[in-house]
Amino acid sequence: MSDNPELQFKIPSVLEDPSIKAIARVYANALLDAQGDSSGENRIEEYRSFIEDVLEANPKFEAILFSRSVSTEEKTGVIDRVVSSQASEIFSHFLKVVASHDRLDLLRAIFDVAVDLEEKKSGKVRVIVRAAASISEEKLAHMRQQLKDILSADPVLQVETDASLIGGLVIQVGDTVYDSSLKNRLGQLQSQLRQRYVHEIQSGRNRFSYSEGS
Amino acid sequence: MKFKADEIASVIQKEVENFGAQLETREVGVVTEVGDGIARCYGLSGAMAGEMVEFSSGVQGFVFNLEESSVGVVVLGNYLKITEGDEVKALGQLLSVPVGEAVVGRVVDPLGNALDGKGTIVTSETRPLESAAPGVVDRQPVREPLQTGIKAVDAMTPVGRGQRELIIGDRKTGKTAIAIDAIINQKGKDVVCIYVGCGQRASSVAGVVDVLTECGAMDYTIVVAASASDPASMQYIAPYAGAAMAEHFMYQGKHTLIVYDDLSKQAVAYREMSLLMKRPPGREAYPGDIFYCHSRLLERSAKLSDEKGGGSMTALPIIETLEGEVSAYIPTNVISITDGQIYLEPDLFYAGVRPAINVGISVSRVGGNAQTKGMKKVSGSLKLDLAAFRELEAFAQLGTDLDAATQQQLDRGYCMVELLKQPQYKPMQVADQVISVYAGSNGYFDKVPVARVPEAEQNLLQFMAEQKSEVRNRLIETQKMDDEMAGMVDAALKEWWTQGSKLFIESEEGAAVGASS
Repeated sequence: MSDNPELQFKIPSVLEDPSIKAIARVYANALLDAQGDSSGENRIEEYRSFIEDVLEANPKFEAILFSRSVSTEEKTGVIDRVVSSQASEIFSHFLKVVASHDRLDLLRAIFDVAVDLEEKKSGKVRVIVRAAASISEEKLAHMRQQLKDILSADPVLQVETDASLIGGLVIQVGDTVYDSSLKNRLGQLQSQLRQRYVHEIQSGRNRFSYSEGS
Repeated sequence: MKFKADEIASVIQKEVENFGAQLETREVGVVTEVGDGIARCYGLSGAMAGEMVEFSSGVQGFVFNLEESSVGVVVLGNYLKITEGDEVKALGQLLSVPVGEAVVGRVVDPLGNALDGKGTIVTSETRPLESAAPGVVDRQPVREPLQTGIKAVDAMTPVGRGQRELIIGDRKTGKTAIAIDAIINQKGKDVVCIYVGCGQRASSVAGVVDVLTECGAMDYTIVVAASASDPASMQYIAPYAGAAMAEHFMYQGKHTLIVYDDLSKQAVAYREMSLLMKRPPGREAYPGDIFYCHSRLLERSAKLSDEKGGGSMTALPIIETLEGEVSAYIPTNVISITDGQIYLEPDLFYAGVRPAINVGISVSRVGGNAQTKGMKKVSGSLKLDLAAFRELEAFAQLGTDLDAATQQQLDRGYCMVELLKQPQYKPMQVADQVISVYAGSNGYFDKVPVARVPEAEQNLLQFMAEQKSEVRNRLIETQKMDDEMAGMVDAALKEWWTQGSKLFIESEEGAAVGASS
């Protein structure tokens, strides 16, 4: 067994260390750009199925792959025995390369980046739509069409519901947020009212305090 | 005054009806880490250095570090309200402070929020904290004097409008006192003063405000305070906030005086922020750009050309040294940036020489250009007298017998040192300074016992103001000390001596008799 006696594993989050995204990008690029027959879309599909059907269904298998107490050779052996027979050649090679660099704990981060990259390549844009209540399919289709016209790209909608918005929509494309929610408008109104009246009250005060001198 | 419920309701209703909500577009990121007054955020890919950001709790900050996939944000305010995962939005503007007449007479924090309990500051005029210093063509040489009202400074290390004169010394040597005297002396001279308290005890800032209020100096003064209990970010931006407020008046063609009290604490605050942001430490653990931090601040002081309105911004930065160590990193930096320094020494301070200015190593690189002609003339001999005195003083301590001429020179020296002492918060008019120094260096106080020189000086100035006001007024008017003027002053001084000499010498004898009986 390995030197590290710890049995638990921890999946690093991009929130803890933004630099893992840069590392993940290297592996994601390698997976997508590798020479082979299958298209990028197929590779992503296989990857998704690996995460959903293998890792999430078998937490113990995940623990073996991610734990630091299992040596790299053992991990490669496990991948060979379990995955290689089922997976495409490229994907099993990819897993082994990641394993040999001790980066298996980044598998999910690599997947997220790979999905982003593949979407970007195929002209798709990830759009997060937040609304107070669930949105009907019909409206979503309408929204998709409108976004497509504005962004001149194929939007991939990710719908979230957040009751605290009260009403309206919040649309996020990349780091830019277009906020027309009622919550935001009320906030704007509140700050405008407050600003206006603080201003008036203070200028009234100033008028009184200077009146003695004049 | 009482609000009328229906009146206010109708106003609010109108406001609500007219409220046209805009679709808000914002650039966002997510807080990944927060603590010690800084936050690291993921996202904000379009944020620019120095741009302001707002956290979802309403606290603001500014972008300090730009990294590949994250930005380091300095939080201005309570960072304890921010949690991991909070949304941060870029505001698309630079940090700015309210400026103009509305701020004069107020005590504010570096963001322009009132600290004096006189209500919020209502003004639409703001100015970005950081702005470029005026260029070469926009400036003119420093020629006009800015009177500090302190004899030792105005006579030997004069400060001109647009100059940067460093006040340097150990703790408790009277650094702030000189700056405060200079502010008090600007009363009625149409100079807007700004006192920036950076990393000071809140009680000392309150003391300064008290003194300024008592002396009537708050009417033309702005106090920007970031006390020792404020976060490092506030202490770091305080001098820039003060400079922005002064610049506003300078570009309007007015004269301003700004005191940075003190820049060594600002450097420490900047070091703290830089180290927390993981910028590499350099000498004394200060970041590499600490020189730029001070040079870009002090370069903003200038005397503008006449085309630009001819306004000026005079800076009196203060640096606190440890055990008189002027060769430490920050003191050498600031000495090299400024146009001269006033060096204060604890030994002199405890020997009762107050202000404790070491005239030997204090310099003003602008020199006589920043003096009135009268002061220039009389101070020339003063410097020589004091230089000769310092050389002789060492000899005199050996107890050797001295010839009459040397002894006289020594006595003159003691007399001049005594003459340059000045009580706190009692700045003097230039004309009075000229008369005092002239009388001293021409031997009119030679016969007065050394301990009674200040008294004799008071007596003389009173005599000049009451009985020889025509001479004094002429001196104020012409500000020159030509032969004719010198003749008039000489005559007046002789008259004073014939009247006053008895007073001093007799009472001395009287006191001696009284003591022996």
